[in-house]
Amino acid sequence: MPAELKQEQSPSNQTSIAMMQEPQEMVEETVTVEEDPGTPTSHVSIVTSEDGTTRRTETKVTKMVKTVTTRTVRQVPLGPDGLPAMDSSSPMGSYTDSIDRRYLKNGERFITPQASSTLSRPYNSYNDSYPESHEGQYRPYIGHDGYGDLSDSYGSLSRGVGYRPRYAYVPGGTYRPDEGSFTLPSRRDTYGPVAQPQVPVGSSVDLNRSQPERFQPEPYGLEDDNRSLGVDDEGYELDPDYSTVNRRTSAGVPERGRPHKGRGYDDPIEPEMVEERLPYLHGGYAAPLAQPERGSMASIDRLGKRSPSIDSIRKDPRWRDPDLPEVIAMLSHPIDPVKSNAAAYLQHLCYENDKIKKDVRHLKGIPILVGLLDHPKPEVHRKACGALRNISYGKDNENKVAIKNCDGIPALIRLLRKTNDMEVRELITGTLWNLSSYEPLKMVIINHGLQTLTNEVIIPHSGWESEPNEDSKPRDAEWSTVFKNTSGCLRNVSSDGAEARRRLRECDGLVDALLHALQSAVGKKDTDNKSVENCVCIMRNLSYHVHKEVPGADKYQELDAGQTTGTGSSQKKKKDDAGCFGGKKAKGKKNGDLDRNFDTLDLPKRSEAAKGFELLYQPDVVRLYLSILTESQNFNTLEAAAGALQNLSAGNWTWSTYIRATVRKERGLPVLVELLQSDSDKVVRAVSIALRNLSMDRRNKDLIGSYAMGELVRNLPSKQQRSAKNLEEDTVVAVLNTIHEIITDSSENARSLIQTQGIQKLVAISKSSQSPRETKAASHILQMIWSYKELRNALQKDGWNKSHFQSVSAAPKGSKGTAGRSGYDDSTLPLVDKSQDNEKSGSRDMIPMDELGPDGYSTIDHRDKERKYKTSDNTGDASEKEPLKNDTNRKNINRSNRASVNLVDARDIKPQPVDSWV
Amino acid sequence: MAFVPGQPVTAVVQRIEIHKLRQGDNLILGFSIGGGIDQDPTQNPFSEDKTDKGIYVTRVTEGGPAEVAGLQIGDKIMQVNGWDMTMVTHDQARKRLTKRNEEVVRLLVTRQSLQKAVQQSMLS
Repeated sequence: MPAELKQEQSPSNQTSIAMMQEPQEMVEETVTVEEDPGTPTSHVSIVTSEDGTTRRTETKVTKMVKTVTTRTVRQVPLGPDGLPAMDSSSPMGSYTDSIDRRYLKNGERFITPQASSTLSRPYNSYNDSYPESHEGQYRPYIGHDGYGDLSDSYGSLSRGVGYRPRYAYVPGGTYRPDEGSFTLPSRRDTYGPVAQPQVPVGSSVDLNRSQPERFQPEPYGLEDDNRSLGVDDEGYELDPDYSTVNRRTSAGVPERGRPHKGRGYDDPIEPEMVEERLPYLHGGYAAPLAQPERGSMASIDRLGKRSPSIDSIRKDPRWRDPDLPEVIAMLSHPIDPVKSNAAAYLQHLCYENDKIKKDVRHLKGIPILVGLLDHPKPEVHRKACGALRNISYGKDNENKVAIKNCDGIPALIRLLRKTNDMEVRELITGTLWNLSSYEPLKMVIINHGLQTLTNEVIIPHSGWESEPNEDSKPRDAEWSTVFKNTSGCLRNVSSDGAEARRRLRECDGLVDALLHALQSAVGKKDTDNKSVENCVCIMRNLSYHVHKEVPGADKYQELDAGQTTGTGSSQKKKKDDAGCFGGKKAKGKKNGDLDRNFDTLDLPKRSEAAKGFELLYQPDVVRLYLSILTESQNFNTLEAAAGALQNLSAGNWTWSTYIRATVRKERGLPVLVELLQSDSDKVVRAVSIALRNLSMDRRNKDLIGSYAMGELVRNLPSKQQRSAKNLEEDTVVAVLNTIHEIITDSSENARSLIQTQGIQKLVAISKSSQSPRETKAASHILQMIWSYKELRNALQKDGWNKSHFQSVSAAPKGSKGTAGRSGYDDSTLPLVDKSQDNEKSGSRDMIPMDELGPDGYSTIDHRDKERKYKTSDNTGDASEKEPLKNDTNRKNINRSNRASVNLVDARDIKPQPVDSWV
Repeated sequence: MAFVPGQPVTAVVQRIEIHKLRQGDNLILGFSIGGGIDQDPTQNPFSEDKTDKGIYVTRVTEGGPAEVAGLQIGDKIMQVNGWDMTMVTHDQARKRLTKRNEEVVRLLVTRQSLQKAVQQSMLS
């Protein structure tokens, strides 16, 4: 899945600069969400693959398995078990305190110990509350049903066996979630947060998985019980809240807490389970006390409950689980509760079990499940959706294709439009998120669901209103699971190439809503969560190649004029740019050519507020991205925000000129430079490339050269170590290319490179790096430095000589440019021909992603290069890398502004707070 | 104390160790800073050289951790826990000082009185 996501970001970069483009791939990410229905808790696993890295996080969303037990009778048992029991058992009480209070209440104290460790405090509090509310109402249904039944049964069964062991197991048991269900609606809120946090924690794949696995075994036993009770199901429906609540709870707690009750059952049935549980057992010691209670409850509940068959099954140690074909056959059973139970059981079975998923597919279970999505009964389509979510998760894309082949995607979208049940919406969007990780399905999702997802989820949850009431305050975004899932889905599909980008950009309200959500996140300083990450990634992807793909983009092309006109015009244009860079603000100033462009652009004229995709590249977004870059601690988000700036500052249309100037004016350069210290490789890479694109603006180049050189050099590997951070090759190459860019046409910047001790590192890289790309990039820089005659004295004083700068370069370049190079070296100035050759070869070397290059920049670049050559500056290689910019730069080279250069343009400085308390 | 970017800075410095004070959820140092390379250096009332964009102590809370540790108004902060503060933005300096996971901040500061004292001692 990870692989799928690649592409989007990089493209933009590419356009501007070949090298830069490559890195852009940031866009791709795949997130998979899985839930296990079977287990009371639902698990959501998210797989994010970025840059080839795959991470899996599984979150347990506790979904309740709907413990159906509706029987009111239970209450009696509950009373004793839950509260009374608890009271009675003093030991338990003590446990509970330490562990989870909830459990105690239910009488499941046993479980608690385990749960406690995992559970968050909120739970405890809930637990406390439970007794009160539950006793009267909730308990009977939820807790009792699931637990009570189990426990009861257990009690009867297990007691003979010895409860303690079971309890220990129990922790792993699935049922717990059910208990969670007991919790009141309010609880949900608490749970929700809790559960989600867990997910992040689970980010490490191992952890997550481990949890799910535990659940699975136990859950089955339990789940089955629940399912069997058809009546119960209906009862469940009555209490929708429970279901949701439970889910979350379980998600948060799921692993540890749930198992307890269920375990008891399982144990008898499945000895294997016990082993797994054993680890947990430690926590479970308290359980012994509880056992008595369970027994009592169990007996009561079970008796009371319906579905005799099930009950009998449970009670009967020889009871056997239905095999897979039987379960799938039950999906078509005329009785709805059987359908829903079968679906829930399937979800449970599929959790973390690729083989079962495959078997379900082979047994033609998927079309049946998809068919159930249209079932009028919420319980049925909910369970079916849960099963599909788990089936759709994983690396086996065949399952995803199977869902698509039976028109599962439109069915899901249909259900999304129809249902208001939050749980179902979470399941639907989770399933779509999973499906969206498979490349061939992305366009299908876009075709069937883009506008629905936007209208039903993104817009309402973002807080954006297309026609805001002027009196009311803008609404904040709510980071619900549904929003997270949906944004994750769109994030994945947004990486599916130019057509996908076009569709998303033109989707009514999508860009507006995403921007509003991000602004809301910045306003609330809540920029670390997954939803924000997803939104920023979408924005980055949609920003890729805007200058080429947006309708009417050609009107804004600054280069176009130049190209059509020929070299002369292009030069003019460059001059203009230079002027812009030097002094003017982006919008206002222009020189001859620029003026023309502006006129056509009518930037200043804009009579109506920008909307839709236009918002992607309005200079206003710069502030948003910079705020995110300043505030967020999420590396993925940082990378995406930097990637967005990278994409927007690439290209040669008017808007990118504005963006580059705006970044400076908004004091974005210091923000970016600081991020060069990031511990995250990909952040450093994205920022480095962004700086390179930004330095197409002459003034930015001066600033970056003065203030970023030290950080850039620090990121280079030294002799002793690859680098302090052990950066990947791509990152090192990106940094090298950025350095190359900023010293091009700027002997001042080259001088600061020398002053930051960069030469030593560059020589080391060019001579001894294992990476041909690094070697080549470093040698390009060295050649460039040597080409500044005025610097040679200083260099020689430091003990360097020509061989350090030229031989090196020649060697790495090897076949391509060697011959020509040697000639150049002498003259310092690359010959045009040679340079061109270099360019061709160089482009490859420099940027592995040559393919990206095709964008058309290449053509531009060539021209620029030619000019450059004429001007006589750098080695051909350099020219290759920096297409348009160079020309402009050259003219400006001799600027005297230097002294005044600050990271922040003096003119742009706004009065700021002079001091701040610390 | 003027300096040239990229050149080593020589100054008479004093080490000051401040133990942060917990106030509610926040750890505070009890002083405020001004300056930074993104600020207008001419507005800095404490610097001799009006092109100096360093970080200066602008206020110190009475009885606060910074005062207890000996920090004074007008001190120029050279380093924070080893991090250079002579070439940072205002916000960078603020962040460096307010790391949540650092209970203790070690500053390297210089102040004119120190500078003068040393000069006089050397002259005499």
